[in-house]
Amino acid sequence: SHDPSENILICLFSLLVLSMVLETQALTPTHHLTTTDVARLQAVLSQPFTDLKSAYYSVVGLSKLGILVADETCQFIKSNLDPSSVESLFYAAEASQALSGCEIPVSNDTRDLLLATVSEDSTASQIHQSVSALSSLGLPLASQEVVSALKARISKEDNVLTIILALQTASRLSQQAELGDILEEIEDLAARLDDLSGVYLQFEEGLETTALFVSAAYALSDHVDMEPPLKEDQVIQLVNSIFSKKSWDSLSEAFSVASAAESLSNNRFHVPVIVSAQGPAAISHSQPFLRLQVTDVLCQPLSSASVLVESASTSSSKSAILSQAPFTLRDEVFELNFMASQPASGYYQFSVAIAGDSRFVANHVELKVKVSTRVAINNMDLSVVDKDQSTGPKTTRVEYPTKAKAPFMADSHQNFAMAFQLVDETTGVELTPHQTFVRLHNQKTGQEVVFVAEPDSKNLYKFELDTTERKTEFDSISGTYALYLMMGDATLENPILWNVADVVLKFLDEEAPSTIQAKTLYTPKPEIQHLFREPEKKPPTVVSNAFTALVLSPFLLLLILWVKLGANISNFTLSPSTFLFHIGHAAMLGLMYVYWTHLNMFQTMKYLAIIGSLTFLAGNRMLAQKAVKRYSNCFKLILLLLSFASTRMESILFRLSESFTFPYKVHYVPFTHHIEN
Amino acid sequence: MLLPFQRGPFRGRTSVSLTLISRFVEEYRSSTPNKLKVIDAYLLYILLTGVFQFLYCVLVGTFPFNSFLSGFIACVGSFILAVCLRIQINPQNKRDFLTVSPERAFADFLFAHTVLHLVVVNFVG
Repeated sequence: SHDPSENILICLFSLLVLSMVLETQALTPTHHLTTTDVARLQAVLSQPFTDLKSAYYSVVGLSKLGILVADETCQFIKSNLDPSSVESLFYAAEASQALSGCEIPVSNDTRDLLLATVSEDSTASQIHQSVSALSSLGLPLASQEVVSALKARISKEDNVLTIILALQTASRLSQQAELGDILEEIEDLAARLDDLSGVYLQFEEGLETTALFVSAAYALSDHVDMEPPLKEDQVIQLVNSIFSKKSWDSLSEAFSVASAAESLSNNRFHVPVIVSAQGPAAISHSQPFLRLQVTDVLCQPLSSASVLVESASTSSSKSAILSQAPFTLRDEVFELNFMASQPASGYYQFSVAIAGDSRFVANHVELKVKVSTRVAINNMDLSVVDKDQSTGPKTTRVEYPTKAKAPFMADSHQNFAMAFQLVDETTGVELTPHQTFVRLHNQKTGQEVVFVAEPDSKNLYKFELDTTERKTEFDSISGTYALYLMMGDATLENPILWNVADVVLKFLDEEAPSTIQAKTLYTPKPEIQHLFREPEKKPPTVVSNAFTALVLSPFLLLLILWVKLGANISNFTLSPSTFLFHIGHAAMLGLMYVYWTHLNMFQTMKYLAIIGSLTFLAGNRMLAQKAVKRYSNCFKLILLLLSFASTRMESILFRLSESFTFPYKVHYVPFTHHIEN
Repeated sequence: MLLPFQRGPFRGRTSVSLTLISRFVEEYRSSTPNKLKVIDAYLLYILLTGVFQFLYCVLVGTFPFNSFLSGFIACVGSFILAVCLRIQINPQNKRDFLTVSPERAFADFLFAHTVLHLVVVNFVG
């Protein structure tokens, strides 16, 4: 077996291209480890270790990446081993297993300690460590006991890490043990994963937990030879989550990623396939091969795969150029000579299938491939045509890249015309690049005007310059203009800037500006003076004074009317409350004036509250007195009438009672005595 | 009261309305108590003030529009409050306002006027 690190070095850095180029219908990985990432992971795990725990992570992690560690580590492990600690034994046992020829001496006490830890009372982590240590050290263990301890532990602590540790432990037990219940936990755990926008699938506990879950689930599934209940899309989402982080905070995190990567590349059921184009996915005559790298998650090439183009069609027309064309494997890169099918330039949609192993996941990939070509300019004809068609056009043919010898003259009676054809250099097919511009550059003033040349229905490019029509663009400046043809497109390998000819344009002199100003956008503009809002026109003082008098005049009328009606203050009762009321009322009106001139609403409300309450109390008193006076007058009158009426009634009744005999004689008291005036 | 048009079929319209008006004025002069006449004079004063303000606005322009509005609203508000006072004081309406004595009506009038003045002075600017 050759050194895996060589393979890793061959895998080139193409993540950016991958993300731009790969479009997915079925889910394909958006994040994966590239060679540099794997190298970085290796570097993190290769850091010199300080204690047994870091030694364990480094040694076992590197072994998962397929890298062998120096045998001196064995000595370090043996010297740092603490036989009374289960954890220490676990690290030592696992690390020694990864090293070749490293044996940890085991005593009976050690064995008893490890066996004793397998019980319901230990934590899941302790059970895992002791079972792994027993298994790595080759000591016998009672699988059924472990299973029951694990089940008890899971029912007590339902958190994710416990179940993951249980899965890991179960993968070290004998295959005859009843692992069905624990196997079902994989499905329950998978249901607890968080789906982030359909791309990532991870536990809320974080990356490390997700990675440990993947390695534990596949370890157990391989052990019992039953496919894990994870759908293909879920596997890809897990790949995205685990490999999205390219620098790891801690050794344990790096270890978990390494172990997840190893289990995803080496298990019996699901192997995610990473397809990336080597370099940009662009093909031209100089580069006729489309090269793809097909690797697993650890960037190891899948040489057993067979890569097939299911269909290749243009992005616009969807007509298939290729169908079922196989890639050939060369130096662990799959290549296909696409130019052999003589595609026209443009973009093509490739649908690639990777077969060869039923375990492959995400083995249908969509790729966008660009085919570029070189352009050639044919039949460049320049002519000056008279507007009135009196003389035939003089056509000059110019060959690229030469320049026309004589300059062309065009004044207001003539049009300057240009016609050319753009073809593919090799196939001769007509092309219509995105950018075909004709630029006229005045060498003296530095002015340039750019026009677009457009193709007609036969893909023949035509450009016509009418000097009279276009004089505004030129500012009517006559002179020699250098004519350039500019051409470019994403699928052209040779963009063109060609000085075709010189054109002398003559405009009518009157229209030319006296000073030739360079048209720049970035000169300071004229300053804007801020116009303050002008106050509105007021009417003349005479008018407003006159109207003031007019508006106040009805008051005089009111006084006159009141005097005529005989309104007076004769009913003015002289009592303190009356005075207070009137003073308070006057004060309120005065406050209104002061509010208008000096105060704001809050102050006014404050003073109004004080004055108002005084006025209210005084006014209440005054009006009550008035009311009482009015009522008392009235009341006195009523009482008088009543008493008068009642005396009359009394005398009548008295006389009546004398004439008749009643069974009971009422002791009669005259009513008038009851009235108190 | 005998209506004028019952007298004959060919009375002119203007003379009918003139007779109506003179009748109305007679009735007013004789049957309205003095207190109400005082209030009516006040109402006329308020009305004229409002009219003259509006006239100014129409003729000269709305330059300090907020001042015009506050003055006009003062007139309208005062008019309404005075009308309310008149209704409540009128002895013929006593049955409708059993719980409201004339003094209470006057107190309400004063309070409402205070609020109106506050608003008007705030707005006059």
